[in-house]
Amino acid sequence: MRVLVGMGCVFAALLAGCTPSGQPGSEGADGADSGKLRLAFVTNNASDFWKIAEAGTTKAAEELGCDVLFRIPSRGTAEEQQSIVQDLIVSGVKGIAISPKDPQNQIEMLNEAAAQVHLVTQDSDAPESDRACYIGTNNFDAGVAAGELIKEALPEGGRIMLFVGSLDAQNAQDRKRGIEQALAGSNITIVDTRTDETDRSKAIANVQDTLVTHPDVGCLVGLWSYNGPAILNAVRDSGKLGQVKIVCFDEEEETLQGVQDGHIFGTIVQQPFKFGYESVKLLYEMAQGDFSRVPPEKTIYIDTVKVTQENVDAFWQRLKELTGKA
Amino acid sequence: MRKALGLIYLLAALVTVACLWEYFNKGGVVNFVSPANLRNVLTWVGLFGILSLGQAIVIITGGIDLSVGSVVALIGITTAVLFSQGYPPALVLPGVLLLAAAIGAFHGALVTKARMQPFIVTLCGLFFYRGVARYIAQDTTQGFGTEYTALKWFGRGYIPTESSLLPAPFAVFLALAAAVGVYLHLTPQGRRLFALGANEEAARFSGIRTDRLKILAYALCTTLAAFGGLLFAFKVNSLGPGDFGNFYELYAVAGAVLGGCSLRGGSGNVLGVVIGASLIMVLRNLVNILEIPSELEYVVIGGAILIGVFADQWMSRRREMGGAGAA
Repeated sequence: MRVLVGMGCVFAALLAGCTPSGQPGSEGADGADSGKLRLAFVTNNASDFWKIAEAGTTKAAEELGCDVLFRIPSRGTAEEQQSIVQDLIVSGVKGIAISPKDPQNQIEMLNEAAAQVHLVTQDSDAPESDRACYIGTNNFDAGVAAGELIKEALPEGGRIMLFVGSLDAQNAQDRKRGIEQALAGSNITIVDTRTDETDRSKAIANVQDTLVTHPDVGCLVGLWSYNGPAILNAVRDSGKLGQVKIVCFDEEEETLQGVQDGHIFGTIVQQPFKFGYESVKLLYEMAQGDFSRVPPEKTIYIDTVKVTQENVDAFWQRLKELTGKA
Repeated sequence: MRKALGLIYLLAALVTVACLWEYFNKGGVVNFVSPANLRNVLTWVGLFGILSLGQAIVIITGGIDLSVGSVVALIGITTAVLFSQGYPPALVLPGVLLLAAAIGAFHGALVTKARMQPFIVTLCGLFFYRGVARYIAQDTTQGFGTEYTALKWFGRGYIPTESSLLPAPFAVFLALAAAVGVYLHLTPQGRRLFALGANEEAARFSGIRTDRLKILAYALCTTLAAFGGLLFAFKVNSLGPGDFGNFYELYAVAGAVLGGCSLRGGSGNVLGVVIGASLIMVLRNLVNILEIPSELEYVVIGGAILIGVFADQWMSRRREMGGAGAA
């Protein structure tokens, strides 16, 4: 038994030893200041994208003087989101901003939540639910923007392949439709869409296998944030840098590095900082009984930004400031 | 050994069918055996195979280690975080391998001294280390950036030159497989491990220190998982704390079981595990090469493992009934 305790101590010590310092301060104030309005922000998985959104929620919380609980479902499943939302309601938050993982099948859960607290969807929408408003990217328009970028990358036309974690998320479907619309009538054809269930090694393998089966592919398109680095990784290992164009979404560090180095043609980035900021602000207003900023169509779109070699430096600098990595 | 031979036939049959299918459906082009594809497949076989080797050792003792995927994540992410804080690799790498060995020994101690079931101990590990990895990474993606190219070579390089057919992780896998093979099949301690798996009580009564042996088996398993985790990290370079290594324990178990290790303990051989791990990655690759829809990947893998294990059972039963003549 003494051995067990000893090992436990060793492990605890190691754990304590390699924990990075400087925790973000938005969480952990649960109940410390009971007078403050408490709101919550629920993501759909764990990624850097949400770190930026968290910076936005923190800024809004500071400006408005409320508390924001930032919740990240570790496995990124719908069922996990449900239990998080239930717990948040029980703990007495007044408003929740959520990125529903599987909108069609979460309507009941969202309606149940909307009956008890102010509910907005962000990042991914569930238009058929009772949510008060949606704040996020118009992913169809983002897809169109990516499609335009693909046309720039392949002026002569060619064959392209899409990569994404799974096609059951609305944003993946919308982006894909947007790309299809933008490419309609051009001489660019989409060969196929390969999915990887968010397993990054699988994401790399999918690209490798595409380069083997379709050596003539002109452009590889990654629809989710990690697909960009995965494509870059596989293209580099296959020795085809520069031979095939890469267009992707979002702003992972490796993606930006790829754009800077000229290996990635361009990336369409959303503005998660504004997701976080606007969500908290809107929920705060709603909790005060002010619904004036909710438009009749119940949708607030946040623009996407096109990042290519021309503007990557400035964009990256600003990003580092937002995430505290400067 | 007979089992391994059957598996080689299965692998050869699969490859042949795939090549023929491609040949007739793509007008004579066979991508599956192209150098580029072989390089890719062998890399993944090497990476996942290392996890299967460790898993096989534990399965032979009659246990199971479900924490492998989370250990992969914990070790990969801890390494990336420590590197980014400026600690030298010469210190970090032995440190994390030692940490992994300690985790395994801890599992082993819980299984033997505290008499807990391996499934439960390692299931808790699966949750625990995943959580620790996410905490250490603060839920942000970790990586090695563009540095540490020498170390990354072990995950993504080729031997002897960058255009060769032999991926470094596959070579590492073969070397580890040889070492584990010698240990399991040629040393007295390895044989004791089989005896322990077949009948623990009998092994104890015949003077084998079963507890110590089991603890060692779990420590070897997590150490190999950590080793694999490092190579995975060097290969993938973008480590999401929530998803890096997810499900890998099941690929490891599948490779070991398909390779002939019985979950009841006491049987299995390293050659089988090498081929079992290869089979699974070949299947995964074929889904893409034969352009089967991505959604069907798990159907193909699950179906193939079921058929493989069923055929193996059926053949060994026939062998037993038919006696020496049928072999």
